[in-house]
Amino acid sequence: MRLLLKNVRLETGYLYEQSFVTATKTELFDVLIENGIFVEIAPSIEVNDAVVVDANMQLLIPSFKEMHTHIDKTYFSGEWKAPTIATEGIFSRFKEEALLLPKQLDVAEDRAHAMVQHYIKNGHTHIRTHVNVDPQIETKHIDIVKRVLDSYQDQITYEIVAFPQHGLLRNGLSFLTIMEKALQMGATHIGGVDPALVDRNSSEVIKTTFQLAEKYGVGIDIHLHEQNTLGEFDIQLILNEMEQRSFKKDVTISHAFALADLPEKSLNPLITRMAANQVGLTTTIPIGAGPITIPVKYLYDKGVKVAFGHDSLVDHWSPFGSGDTIQKLNQFIERFGYIDEWHIGQSLKYATGGITPLNLTGEQQWPKAGDTANALLVDAVSSAHLIARRCPISTVLSKGKVIHKEEIELKGEFR
Amino acid sequence: MKTWVRNVRLETGESTYEDGSMKTETGLFHIQVSEGLIENILPASSNVPVTNSIDMEGKLALPAFKEMHNHLDKTYLSLGWRACRPVNNLPERLELEAAELEALSETVMQRASAMIELHLNNGVNHIRTHVNIDPFIKLKNLEGVKKALEAYDQYVTYEIVAFPQHGLLAHEEMPGLLRQALNSGATILGALDPAGIDNDIEKSLQLTMDIAKDCQVDVDLHLHDRGQVGFYTMDKWLDMVKEQNYKGRTAFSHAFGISGLPPRLQQQFAKKLGEHDVEIMSTIPISINHQLIPIDLLTKEGVNVALGCDGFYDSWSPYFSGDILEKLHNFCDYTGKANERSLRESLSLITQGVTPLTIEGQQQWPQVGMDASFVFIEASCSAEAIARLPKNRMLMHKGKLYHPKH
Repeated sequence: MRLLLKNVRLETGYLYEQSFVTATKTELFDVLIENGIFVEIAPSIEVNDAVVVDANMQLLIPSFKEMHTHIDKTYFSGEWKAPTIATEGIFSRFKEEALLLPKQLDVAEDRAHAMVQHYIKNGHTHIRTHVNVDPQIETKHIDIVKRVLDSYQDQITYEIVAFPQHGLLRNGLSFLTIMEKALQMGATHIGGVDPALVDRNSSEVIKTTFQLAEKYGVGIDIHLHEQNTLGEFDIQLILNEMEQRSFKKDVTISHAFALADLPEKSLNPLITRMAANQVGLTTTIPIGAGPITIPVKYLYDKGVKVAFGHDSLVDHWSPFGSGDTIQKLNQFIERFGYIDEWHIGQSLKYATGGITPLNLTGEQQWPKAGDTANALLVDAVSSAHLIARRCPISTVLSKGKVIHKEEIELKGEFR
Repeated sequence: MKTWVRNVRLETGESTYEDGSMKTETGLFHIQVSEGLIENILPASSNVPVTNSIDMEGKLALPAFKEMHNHLDKTYLSLGWRACRPVNNLPERLELEAAELEALSETVMQRASAMIELHLNNGVNHIRTHVNIDPFIKLKNLEGVKKALEAYDQYVTYEIVAFPQHGLLAHEEMPGLLRQALNSGATILGALDPAGIDNDIEKSLQLTMDIAKDCQVDVDLHLHDRGQVGFYTMDKWLDMVKEQNYKGRTAFSHAFGISGLPPRLQQQFAKKLGEHDVEIMSTIPISINHQLIPIDLLTKEGVNVALGCDGFYDSWSPYFSGDILEKLHNFCDYTGKANERSLRESLSLITQGVTPLTIEGQQQWPQVGMDASFVFIEASCSAEAIARLPKNRMLMHKGKLYHPKH
């Protein structure tokens, strides 16, 4: 099956005033997609047997990846309820989960579907979700989430993190058996959360996490809210394990608040080591008074890949969360004060797994013949315009297939 | 003409969930509107005439929102997209702005109208806008903004601040231009960083005071100056207000000088602000480089705090959405307000203090005899509206429903 996109706006370069990027240059192309791959990009393409979609001069950009969410325990699509006041912090939430999650089991599958559909509508063709594995829920959420995500396998790709939300070791050996079962049910990663503050046993937790990851051939994604030197210490432990074991699967640290809260003297050697070991980071771009927002661009420029996630779209932890990655990018540029075309446009990469239509010096690098056709048509005239003005998505393409389409009023540069 | 607005959800009280957390109770009502006022409120089980009525289908009614710090004259909205240029300091920013002021002033009414419509769509029925009064375009933006606001005056009330964006002292003609502006439709006198821009705190403040008193208008001072110099500027102004007997007529916008103070001094100063009836306007900046001013501490001491979107899509800033409810959402996110009550109560920041329920959970709004001004929104309660930011809102201002053009 062939799909021909007509009148597609592609970014082709930057316009400069001396060395300052004043705007993004775009031109119109036809784009031919075959078997899920871009096969030809040219000013005009005529073929007989393709389905034709007129893009009406909308901009084509790479689709988004949601790299940190929890689709298994959401209130999303259910009744509104604000979180309680957590008097004992994270431990209050564990107690709530012990009662709440079994009660929610009946609706968990429907809500997971609602979240996936919301993510697709908002331009995501990949979802990494953490899924609770805990003493009450055991592997029930893994089962549900796997079934839900499998039903979208012709639309999106996914990763499932088996997430020991209530700690890995503090619930006894029997819990480890449950964890091992979860890792054999299709999880791509083993998760973790604050090995010091939750389990109060950081070395053992990290060691066991790596042992299990090796045993079942999965990656690792650890939630680390621990601040400054404690977070730094646990990251060092993770790096030690990676180096000792020559661990080559994906290792991601989520949140990593410590990196927002260390002096450069400690931060830089840590970053260098993380980059050398190809440790990735995910962040929700939290806002608040504390040092909680990691220096995304600084880290990325030094070789540590950073990706964005929404975490929650309303659950018993947080009432916030939009699932709208364009809004997330907008919050990012506002938080860091990026106001010019180049900085705004280049920020797109944190949402696309590193892809931007233009490279740092303005050469077109996407889409190229041979690339997987995961892309969005948006009513914008540049990536920067899209992010700054939060322009809408009309079409979501996954492996060359239209998986979502909606009518929007086209305003182009006047949006 | 009398109209029934049917099936409106109103907050009626609160109850407690099993887990001890709070639930806001609501019910469905029919609201009769006459001559811009609420004439009757009946439970939705009552029979009311369907002809000439509007069915809200269970949408929640909230008090219409107030946008209290804006620059309608600066926006690029309705012109083509362009990003901004980074600068090193405020004078550089002003230089860039000055270079395009004249060209932009040609389209001021069109641009201001686009921004007004955005606010109306989001549920705003009152706008306080600052308008440049400067030696480059003099009163030209004021004329355009005034015309734009007048064209929407069925839906929105407004205040126009005559704002010396390019300084009060640097240009001889400024005091005269400001007086002229205040006689030509501006209703409030503005001011800007007496230290950072005018380089003479006392002289700048005194001249501002003189003009305000002569014209008998309120004053809304933009104070971006940080740290002690920003604090001193406010403190000095309050001394002058006391000495010169001009109480109850001051707003400080931004007021960044409060952020850097130790908590004890913040508290002391909040008391002083309260005693002088000063209103604080914040645009909820979320930049990592600055701390948000302590809004909760201020309101606890009785200071009125209001929010604004500031200028957006202009030469200063490319990225605000222009949704005052989202500003409130960001404030709650930033300050960790996640439970039902704290979300619900925060609404007062964008409604000039009006919330459907009292702090104790008793219904206090709407009541017969009040202005029929509402935002109708798809949410089960105000906390949900703030946390989830539903789109497709409908504004009613004094009984008149706004129908968006776009």
